[in-house]
Amino acid sequence: MTARMIDASKMKWLFRGAGAASAPLLALLLLAGCKSATVINEHREAETTTLSGDETIVVLGRRHSVSHETEEDFISCVGRTLGQGQSELNVIPEKTFVDTMYPYFETSTAPMDVRNLDKLMQIPAIAAKFEGLKVRYFVWIDGATERTDSTGSVACAVGPGGGGCFGFAYWEDEANYEASIWDFRDLSLSGKINAETKGTSFMPAVIIPIPMLARVQANACKSLSNQLRNFFSVSAG
Amino acid sequence: MATPNKTGAGPCGAVCKRLCFIGLALLAAACQQSMSIKVASEVPVPLMTQLPLSLGVFYDERLRNYVYEEDSDERSDWNIDSGASHVALFARILPAMFREVTEVAGAPTGAGVDAVLIPKVAEMQFALPQETKTDFYEAWIKYEMTLQDPQGERIAAWLVTGYGKSSTEFMKSRDKGLNAAVNQALRDAGARFALGFPRVAAVKTWLADQTGGGSSPQ
Repeated sequence: MTARMIDASKMKWLFRGAGAASAPLLALLLLAGCKSATVINEHREAETTTLSGDETIVVLGRRHSVSHETEEDFISCVGRTLGQGQSELNVIPEKTFVDTMYPYFETSTAPMDVRNLDKLMQIPAIAAKFEGLKVRYFVWIDGATERTDSTGSVACAVGPGGGGCFGFAYWEDEANYEASIWDFRDLSLSGKINAETKGTSFMPAVIIPIPMLARVQANACKSLSNQLRNFFSVSAG
Repeated sequence: MATPNKTGAGPCGAVCKRLCFIGLALLAAACQQSMSIKVASEVPVPLMTQLPLSLGVFYDERLRNYVYEEDSDERSDWNIDSGASHVALFARILPAMFREVTEVAGAPTGAGVDAVLIPKVAEMQFALPQETKTDFYEAWIKYEMTLQDPQGERIAAWLVTGYGKSSTEFMKSRDKGLNAAVNQALRDAGARFALGFPRVAAVKTWLADQTGGGSSPQ
């Protein structure tokens, strides 16, 4: 669980403008802050998921659903996060991989099952490309971040002498992502990780709107990436 | 909050009028439904094994200059120019599928090639987020493909479709959203064409005759 708060000392100017009546309300909101919570579920099929030094991982988004589309920036975030830190993994960026493998990994042509990878490997050009990229694992991520609730309103007005906003709004976002890990060498499903993050954001406005955002998608990315990092172990070889 | 200027005279009056004018102009611009886009496509070179055949390709004027036009109550003065993108798509894909590709000036003048391909845009459709109540700009393309022998006799005719969508994002304009959806649809159509070509029954038979049954563009 993560929480983010705004330093109250930086808000003195706000209280001066807001007046004494709204100060306690704002202070309470700032103390409560915006919050988000993440639940991770992991299901492991393979006993070990080891990467040798030069083997790579491909992180890809599923976009075949009518109702949602896994965001490109979320996939980039997971790939980038896996490639950072102490146990950094060799990650091929999604766009680079999909463009290199065109037309086999488009939304309508990508394999939906790990067994279908075997069919692709029968094509010499594909087999040679995989060999060159040293692909060991595919991480397919399916899901999206959606707004589940919102209420309140903020009204702003501008006049000859200046302008300002007044009101209060809050909204809830929910991120739900599932990562399926395919072992390319064994052509099997290594495991699945599910990350579910919920968060509430607030925006009080007394002259100036102060958005206090729960970074739901960013937190889901961080949590899923950390779990994926733990899923893989890297060997020196 | 400042006290409003009650008289409306003096320097504030002039400033207010200007601000009102700019505000109204911005509102008018925001409400207008007209659209004029020239699609910029970006399709990668396909990873395929070339067929040992030479292909002629004929792009007719309608394909070269294809413009989606609509002028209805909901879509006033829509103009989406995608002609260059269709030609660019096939110019990118065909050389990866065939040993030699030549652009020919007319459908029956395919001398010196094994066959002539004639792609035509049958239909394009678009949907905006406010129309579908979703968070996506969407685009559909339908091509009519005809493969002829050098004498102009039809070998095969089939349809190829492509679908693309692009999510609405903060500060993403309607033009940019639709362009991204069309680009995705072109990419999808290209992928379906490249992978589907040897599976079209009549093409399969023709390929077997031409190559002795041993080749397919994969």
